Amino acid sequence: MKKAVSRGLALGLALAVGVGMAGCAGSGSKGGDAVSGGGSYDGPKVEINFWNGWTGGAAPVLVPKMIDKFNAEHKNIVVKDVPQEWGDIAAKMPLAIKAGKGPDVAVLHGDDLATYAAQNLLLKADDIVKNLGYAADDFPPGVFDKGNYKDAQYAVPWSVTPLGLYVNKDVMAKGGVSDIPTDQASYLAALDKLKAAGVPGEWVDGYVFTGTFEFESLVWQFGGDLYNKDVTEATFNSDAGVKALTWMTDLVKKGYSPANVAQDGNIKALLAGKTAFNWNGVWQTTNSAFQGLNWTAAPVPQIGSQKAVWSSSTHWVFPANKGQDKNKTQAAAVFVKWMNDNSADWASTGELPAANTVRNDPSLVQKYPDLESFIGELDYAHYETVSPGINEANALITTALNEALTGKKSPKQALDDAKAKADQILKQNQSKYGD
Amino acid sequence: MATDTVVSTVPVPGPTRPRGRGGVPARAPRRRTLTAYLFLAPFLVLFLTFVVTPAVFGLWISLTDWSPFRDIQHFIGLQNYIDLFTPGSTTSGDFWRSMAATGIFTLASVPFLVVVPLLIAVLLNNRIRAATAFRTIFFAPYVLGVAVVGLIWGYILDTQSGILNHVLSLVGLPGEIPWLVDVPWVWVSLVGVTVWWTMGLNTVIFLAGLKGINADLYEAAALDGAGAVRSFFSVTLPGLRPVMLFITTTTVLASANMFGQSYLLTAGGPGNATRTAIMYIADQGLSQNNMAPASAMSYLLFAFLAIISIVNFRVQRERAESVTT
Repeated sequence: MKKAVSRGLALGLALAVGVGMAGCAGSGSKGGDAVSGGGSYDGPKVEINFWNGWTGGAAPVLVPKMIDKFNAEHKNIVVKDVPQEWGDIAAKMPLAIKAGKGPDVAVLHGDDLATYAAQNLLLKADDIVKNLGYAADDFPPGVFDKGNYKDAQYAVPWSVTPLGLYVNKDVMAKGGVSDIPTDQASYLAALDKLKAAGVPGEWVDGYVFTGTFEFESLVWQFGGDLYNKDVTEATFNSDAGVKALTWMTDLVKKGYSPANVAQDGNIKALLAGKTAFNWNGVWQTTNSAFQGLNWTAAPVPQIGSQKAVWSSSTHWVFPANKGQDKNKTQAAAVFVKWMNDNSADWASTGELPAANTVRNDPSLVQKYPDLESFIGELDYAHYETVSPGINEANALITTALNEALTGKKSPKQALDDAKAKADQILKQNQSKYGD
Repeated sequence: MATDTVVSTVPVPGPTRPRGRGGVPARAPRRRTLTAYLFLAPFLVLFLTFVVTPAVFGLWISLTDWSPFRDIQHFIGLQNYIDLFTPGSTTSGDFWRSMAATGIFTLASVPFLVVVPLLIAVLLNNRIRAATAFRTIFFAPYVLGVAVVGLIWGYILDTQSGILNHVLSLVGLPGEIPWLVDVPWVWVSLVGVTVWWTMGLNTVIFLAGLKGINADLYEAAALDGAGAVRSFFSVTLPGLRPVMLFITTTTVLASANMFGQSYLLTAGGPGNATRTAIMYIADQGLSQNNMAPASAMSYLLFAFLAIISIVNFRVQRERAESVTT
């Protein structure tokens, strides 16, 4: 009896769902239309929704203040701030845009842009960018292009977050190291001295934060890249990749790092005075645990044949909501330009403003001296790969790193295995996101 | 099942049973049935909306090449399931590895999650001083969220700066154990943390079951010369059969659905050794937008758990019946 009822229910629901889906199928949004924007907006009064993932740190206080100021200065534009967890944005935004209920403007991470663009969830912003007067050289080298997918510009850079070398100066002095190392020779010399003093100088971990970022920096330093140019094949198992990972496993093997460092074990060790160096992101500059510690941040040392460092980025995008109001998008463009122009205090959140004019203003470094070395790195920073669904392939890099550092596989074996799997994922992505 | 035991001490309204069984549909019971359904309706609505509908929808998704971004989804039959059984496909290797991880965790954790709470419950059931305080202490961790549990144990189990390794090295034991980084320690940690975190619930349920055992039986056993151990095996355990069935079933299901502990403590490492099925499914479905294969995996996991639960029911019920007859 009970079974029969549930079976009946199941059938009914299946039918209902099927009908609902058929209904959906007819009404797709035509994303990706070109929309023009401008440096100013003089249309009717509009309210625009702004989604962002700024729920922690200084942002929840800073952003409402900025928006209030913007709203006060613009009589016909009202910006509504909708902060929520990044995870919620990832889960809700695609469907909201499809349903015409998404934001008019949003901030996304650089490695998500292509995924959104490939699914026609974003407006092509070539004209907006042109009208706002933006060009690639208004931002650090390489960032602007991360908003480019299939020859269309979808995004305006907002912030960049490179890796740097965090130094516990007291520990460094204990090992008799006076100068912060800048290249392989001086780095190894420093690690040797520290080792002699009984201090493992850099703790290497096999997790995304921040082992993976360090590995990727090293791959670029050794002249390699993570993927080939059109992102159809993983190349992180090249000679450069193997050198990079071997460098990291050697740090453990030679006793410069303890084995089996747990997640966040290295930053904790730096803060606890147990190690001298930690490769970590600029966001750590706002970590309150650093207060009272004798520390500094420097550019990551050049271990390989060239200078390179990993960086992430965030960007403004204009979602292609079903039935998007062009006035709203135009007003959103004005908002984006205003925010970038007034982004100096964004540095207080532990991210670097992407706009060169703002970031290179001497007053910024005066106010936030910890950021100076990170800003200096931007000339040779590398950003995340632009390709829809790339994060699934990127996750395999961390797996390889972890396997090599826990001695499950040799660096080459781990990277080769990850490459084989990544190539499969890339192929799958092409059919998943391709036209 | 446990609720049955607990409720059975409350007198059941007398007349309903015999009359209902006899098949004489009197008016009062029917109205009573209607009232019951009325009270059940709100839950039924929630159940239909948030359990049945998504479950059926998921079954449909598993038969398509579902993408949340495409307007039209194609029906592809059992292809997602076939892929899971095809070596070398993008999903099969990782999925079965995650199923194996789930299996290891379940096999390693369930015995502890049943035996430890049972022993604690038996101890607490003796009229000891401050029994309520102890009960609260054992139950306390259960109210914590998994994020809190992850954070606390992350600090305790850190390889180099963790409290546990520090204490171990103080007493002369190896103090460099990679609790959260390498096998087999990760399994020890995950099982240990889970036992610490969730044993309170099973303890309380066992306690309720113990209260339901007639004290006369213990007296009779004692008169027959049974010691503490003998009366535990001959009175307590048989008296707990229905509770035991409930606990083993829910504990197996809970362990098979483990997610937060390995997500937060080991990030699935080393490599993907502790990436459980739920973790892999969540990643595929929610992070990588591979909802169709993820749904197929969920249904396979569901099938596994259903079979295990049925076997568990059969085995324990038969034993219970053979005892009563």
